[in-house]
Amino acid sequence: MQLKKICRGCSAAAFLIAIGVSLPAGHAQAQMRWVSEVTVVPEGRWSGPRLRDGQPDIQGVWSNDIANHDNFTDPQGGIPGDPSKGLNVANGARKVKPRSERAPSRVSDPPDGQVPFQPWARAKQQEFLANFFNPTRPEYIEPGARCAPAGIPKALYWHGYEIRQFPGVVVFLFNGGTRIIYLDGRPHLPQSIKLWNADSRGFWEGNTLVVDVTNNNAKARFGRTGEFASENVHVVERYTFAEGHYTYRAVFTDPTVFTRPFTVTIPAHRITEKDPQDGWHNEQEWANAPGKPPFYENYERVCVENNHGHGAVAVVSGNAAAPSLKQGGRQ
Amino acid sequence: MRGSRVVGTCAVLAFIAALSAEIIHADPLTKPAKRVADIPRTKEGHPDLTGIWQSISTADFDLEPHSPRKDAPPGAGVVEGDVIPYQPEALRKKQENFAARDQLDPRLQCFTLGVPRDNYYPEPFQILQRPRDLTLIYEFGNSVRTIHTNGTLHPEGDNPEFWLGDSRGHWEGDTLVVDVTDFTDKTWLDRSGNFHSDALHVIERWTPLDKDHIEYSATLEDSKVFTRPWNLKVILYRLKDKNIQLIENYCYTLDYDRYYPFPKDGP
Repeated sequence: MQLKKICRGCSAAAFLIAIGVSLPAGHAQAQMRWVSEVTVVPEGRWSGPRLRDGQPDIQGVWSNDIANHDNFTDPQGGIPGDPSKGLNVANGARKVKPRSERAPSRVSDPPDGQVPFQPWARAKQQEFLANFFNPTRPEYIEPGARCAPAGIPKALYWHGYEIRQFPGVVVFLFNGGTRIIYLDGRPHLPQSIKLWNADSRGFWEGNTLVVDVTNNNAKARFGRTGEFASENVHVVERYTFAEGHYTYRAVFTDPTVFTRPFTVTIPAHRITEKDPQDGWHNEQEWANAPGKPPFYENYERVCVENNHGHGAVAVVSGNAAAPSLKQGGRQ
Repeated sequence: MRGSRVVGTCAVLAFIAALSAEIIHADPLTKPAKRVADIPRTKEGHPDLTGIWQSISTADFDLEPHSPRKDAPPGAGVVEGDVIPYQPEALRKKQENFAARDQLDPRLQCFTLGVPRDNYYPEPFQILQRPRDLTLIYEFGNSVRTIHTNGTLHPEGDNPEFWLGDSRGHWEGDTLVVDVTDFTDKTWLDRSGNFHSDALHVIERWTPLDKDHIEYSATLEDSKVFTRPWNLKVILYRLKDKNIQLIENYCYTLDYDRYYPFPKDGP
């Protein structure tokens, strides 16, 4: 109980908690944490409920369908070079399935599913990956293990997250970071300001929230496979919503690092009261509301305050408390 | 002549009436809040506290009255009665904290500041309001706090502890009253080592004075640390700079972000 208490909602320390979580049977979603198919919601009109300011009401908790951040372009393929030989691949899947049965790359364009890195940048990505399991330098430790915000796009496949909407504002409350997206047409921050979650300006087109993202500090990687952009990266995100699903499609443009723009596609689904608490998609708690039908609420999320170093590569004073990889101390 | 004098009297009376309606007087803990004129309101009729706010008091430097110090501007204090009523042992601990404040203040590690400290720390915070809750995002650490106003109760069960406590609020007239419990004992109340235990219980009262000012008061009870409940009070000011927005300040990353430069081309 103590572990649960101190780690509730803390992202880096939560690495350990979800290891070996056995999902209760009896609910379709509970029986399978991940799916291999990418559900794509077409852009079009919004026919669902609206808020008073006219925004489509898409508030609630959402989570990605296919995998965590182990591998950006082969999401269910595990981390290349994993000494545990895939035992923990894709959060509980005990074996890596053949590539044809795994989810496709998050890079949906170009068609080969690869990030169109310039050669030097590909080499830097490979260098990070090659050193991931035995980091000999501080920069080989993923920033998330130090509780840094996951950044864009990684926050979208790091645990479930809540979207709250207000007049002229959409807020994403991620397990790793918070984004406030203004819809009022104001200019971006001065470009000299660089931030983990960057700076977001959005507007609605039918069922699609379009967000222009600049001011990225480019310190976060896209996954444990080490993909990255530079501070010059410009992202145009399109979040296309339907009743229980949405599709994230974002075009990343950065001539400093890439040979051409590329598109990232991430399918996500809504978490409802029918979904059990599973430590990943649904980290909510039941509200204490006697006499009312049961509903979830989110507790506070802190990380650095409780970071005991349960990450793939633990970051804690002296690393003394770090579980070894043999113990499967990662997610 | 006579007619104009009557008009004048009416004007004075109206002025006094307006004053009393717009100013919330001294002790919000006992007097019910009056309805405040000319403030933004929700469709439900409650004050709409949406905005970016900041205290310009010296409360975060020292809640109690203090002369200028190298590490603090002077301040008349924000504690009702000036002195925090510590139990003897707790007062000794406070004094130890004060002596080592340049090392022990949790803010130096960029840890979540806690309640009420987050509300008078000298960085802005944003309030976003829905009927069911208020979302408070503090620039320092980008901490997110939810004040539930949907009739839910504090959590039961495994004795949860939160850095910001667990906040359940309701409206009493134009005052948002928030009951905050389930604290850790790891946060401080200011930079001077004023502290609390995990038995802390805070009752906040957020009362708009006009459209750009909120009177924020908090009653702090802690049977392990204080001899009696005590009150603090600060004014929160709406930031009105053009295009004002929070700029995320994950300051704990500043200790290591040098390890993550953009991997430049070349060796």
